[in-house]
Amino acid sequence: MLLALKRRYREEVLAISFLWPALLVLCGLLLYPLGDVVRLSFYESNLQKEVWVGFGNYIALFNDPLFWKSFWQTVVFTVFSVALHLVIGLGLALLLNMRLEPAFRALARGLLIVPWLLAPTVAGMIWVLMLAPFGIVNGMLSSLGLIDANFAVSWLGDPSTALGSVTTMNVWRAFPFFMVMLLAGLQAIPKQLYEAASIDGATLWHQFWHITLPQLRSVITTIVLLDSIWTFRAFDPVFVMTGGGPAHASEVLATAIYFDGFQKLRFGYASAQAMVMFLVLFVVSAFYVRRAMNANQ
Amino acid sequence: MQTVLMGHLGLRRQERLINAFAYLALAGAIVIVFIPLLWMLSVSFRPNIEVMRMPPTWLPEVFTLEGYAKIFSNPRYLLVFFNTALVSLLVTLISLFLGAMAAYALARFKFAGQRTVLMFLITTQMFPLVLLCIPYFRIFISLGLYDTRTSLVIVYLTFTLPFCVLMLRSYFLNIPRDIEEAAMVDGCSRLGAIFRTLVPISYPAFIGAGLYTFLLAWNEFLFAVVLIESWENRVLTMAIYSLMAEFVTDWNAMMAFSVLASAPLVMIFIFLQRYMVQGMTAGALTS
Repeated sequence: MLLALKRRYREEVLAISFLWPALLVLCGLLLYPLGDVVRLSFYESNLQKEVWVGFGNYIALFNDPLFWKSFWQTVVFTVFSVALHLVIGLGLALLLNMRLEPAFRALARGLLIVPWLLAPTVAGMIWVLMLAPFGIVNGMLSSLGLIDANFAVSWLGDPSTALGSVTTMNVWRAFPFFMVMLLAGLQAIPKQLYEAASIDGATLWHQFWHITLPQLRSVITTIVLLDSIWTFRAFDPVFVMTGGGPAHASEVLATAIYFDGFQKLRFGYASAQAMVMFLVLFVVSAFYVRRAMNANQ
Repeated sequence: MQTVLMGHLGLRRQERLINAFAYLALAGAIVIVFIPLLWMLSVSFRPNIEVMRMPPTWLPEVFTLEGYAKIFSNPRYLLVFFNTALVSLLVTLISLFLGAMAAYALARFKFAGQRTVLMFLITTQMFPLVLLCIPYFRIFISLGLYDTRTSLVIVYLTFTLPFCVLMLRSYFLNIPRDIEEAAMVDGCSRLGAIFRTLVPISYPAFIGAGLYTFLLAWNEFLFAVVLIESWENRVLTMAIYSLMAEFVTDWNAMMAFSVLASAPLVMIFIFLQRYMVQGMTAGALTS
């Protein structure tokens, strides 16, 4: 009887015996903390004591203009980052996919990936130095005659340019991911499609519009979803470059949650904010997971 | 006939023009992308009074290793390098080991709940990490692990382990199971067969996943800020950030530090570019 059961569930038993350590670690690291945040979002907590407030944190949150400000700034930061990643990544991938010397192609691809290897912290610091009032960016712009050298722009200190500056840094650091993925996608397109099209007299623009883009659609959807999720939750670029300032002009959700929790010690309020962020990401992730699951079947 | 030939020649010329444009555009892109990197290098080799000079000069007028000397003469900074390397290596080894086991189960056996496990692994990669900071902070304080390097090794698994499982699984799926089964018929145990056949064959996947894991761990910042307090346990990203907050004007030391912090990754990348690109591509597509 026992033997029969063992044989019946042999695959299950073997699978579990290989699977349990990783699953245990991940459940402990993800599911338990998630439950803890859900619980905490209904309390007022400063680590010392916890007071049940029901939906109090959520109601306060939705009436907090600062929350909405950081929410929309996160959306703007994400949309611009992802769109520019896509445009620049696609442009460079198309260039790299042309008939080049293989050695030149390898070198160019290698060099263009380098920013992506840097820690966001390091990249952020380089840009802080470059964007300083007496930094190289103002230096270059004034030598081009675009700004007056005596009225140096404080890119990170001015509320109207802070978020844009952080976005620029983020575009510079992360476009190589798109470039590499799209180049791999381009190389997978069958050459016959182009040959047939050029025999039919299709222009390069037509070929791009009717062959390249449709063939890349699946890769583009996947990386756009992934990048949207990664950028929406990003913390390092904003925290390092501006700390969300000046006057919250570059605050995003991740930094707002951090400051509420670890500086103001309002852990309940921070948890409620984190829950909102989690739900937004969850909806976007659902699309990604469905695609990834189909690819995995 | 003649017009067809003309058209053909025209196309040739057009193609050559477009190709020349591709070389030029790529060279231009490389120059633009490298401006920040070259500026980092240039500042790291100049005295601090030359940093914020208007108009800026591309090359240092006085070449100095002062910035690097400040880093190398300070044991606190060297310790930070050691900590980062230690944490990243441990995370990579643990992720690869646990990840390979789970990947093997997912690639080789059919069992109830397989889809759920797969879905869970993909979803975990989308988690907002800042959400996890709050409970981690509280949990590690109560466990007495707050402000230890151990805590970092543990929490980095949150984002490295799912990736390793998925990437190794997709590689294992493409390796016929006959290979292990043949070894098992020859008298190997299952584990013996895995270590003697599957693992050596899959080395590109292990290198790719390992490199990407190492990169993620080396560059992580948020958890390090939340979970580490003392200098003895700091890692690079956090040390760089606190340097910036403490000594706002010591730019040559900070840029020297940044160069040194990025150099290991760039070096590894130069030699193992192929595997790393593979890891990068697989990380996103997981199929």
